[in-house]
Amino acid sequence: MPFFFEEAVTPQGKPLLRIHAREEVTLADAEALGARLDGPNKGWLVLSIVDRGTEYAPAARKYFPNLQHKYGALAAVVTSPIVRAAINMMTRLTGQAPNLRLFTTEDEALAWLDAMKI
Amino acid sequence: MSLTVDAARIHELLDVLVAAAAGDYDVRLKLRENDDALLDVETGVNFLLDELIERRLHNEAQEEELLTRARRLARQRDELMQALSTPVITVWPGVLTLPLVGRVDDERAAAITAGLLARVGAERASHVILDLTGVGALTDGTMPAILRMVRAIGLLGATCLLTGIRPDVAQQLIALGGADVHVRALARLSDALASVLADKGLLQGT
Repeated sequence: MPFFFEEAVTPQGKPLLRIHAREEVTLADAEALGARLDGPNKGWLVLSIVDRGTEYAPAARKYFPNLQHKYGALAAVVTSPIVRAAINMMTRLTGQAPNLRLFTTEDEALAWLDAMKI
Repeated sequence: MSLTVDAARIHELLDVLVAAAAGDYDVRLKLRENDDALLDVETGVNFLLDELIERRLHNEAQEEELLTRARRLARQRDELMQALSTPVITVWPGVLTLPLVGRVDDERAAAITAGLLARVGAERASHVILDLTGVGALTDGTMPAILRMVRAIGLLGATCLLTGIRPDVAQQLIALGGADVHVRALARLSDALASVLADKGLLQGT
């Protein structure tokens, strides 16, 4: 599975959905993420750790805009320029991706999530 | 914003664009971990090629669906034409009438014969009236086909009557040995029906 989910908390103790993404993300994986975000804790703070080499299938890319209203804020930690370019492009195709930011370190990402007024 | 890039990347980008413009959407730029703005462009080109392939597949699927629908409509049209060209009518229990209209070629004659014989068997018909009034041009195979139809009807135990025979058709019938076939010929369809009903003892005063 390209997505691994884990419920955790931010340094300030806010509930957090931590996702580890790797390999090729298919539409089924993206839908599984959507189902997870649809759970009782809507408006999740999401921390996504995206491995180098992660790819997004075209159908998954088209599905991602559906997730925007399901999370409160999404911080993606990306170290690979290729993966970052892919996420940037998906964001551009979406038009707007409010409350989504890319980071290079987990600490920065968590600090941003903690600072979000959600 | 200034950007310094390796000329090889620009060449590769142009090669992929040229290939795509020629209809080859399977080409992809090989992405390298270059942390620059051109990587965004390269990624965008690859995304665009993915999209083009998806749309081409979608278009092909739609085209196939349209072709399937067109074939089904053509088949339904053929079946309708077939039904309209062989309107076998039960004018009395056990008495069938087939008004032949238009040009009768070998193919149509074979289809008519098959349909007619099926009805004769299914309805246990005792009489079949073939009305030739509306038969237009007679191809070389028409009269033999009609005579074969008459013989086949006889083999099923039914009597065949021909009506509406024009003089030129009559000559063709004689030339083809139609006189040797046991078939009653009458001027009009109504005459044939009256004759059949008389045979059955159903017509008063005959």
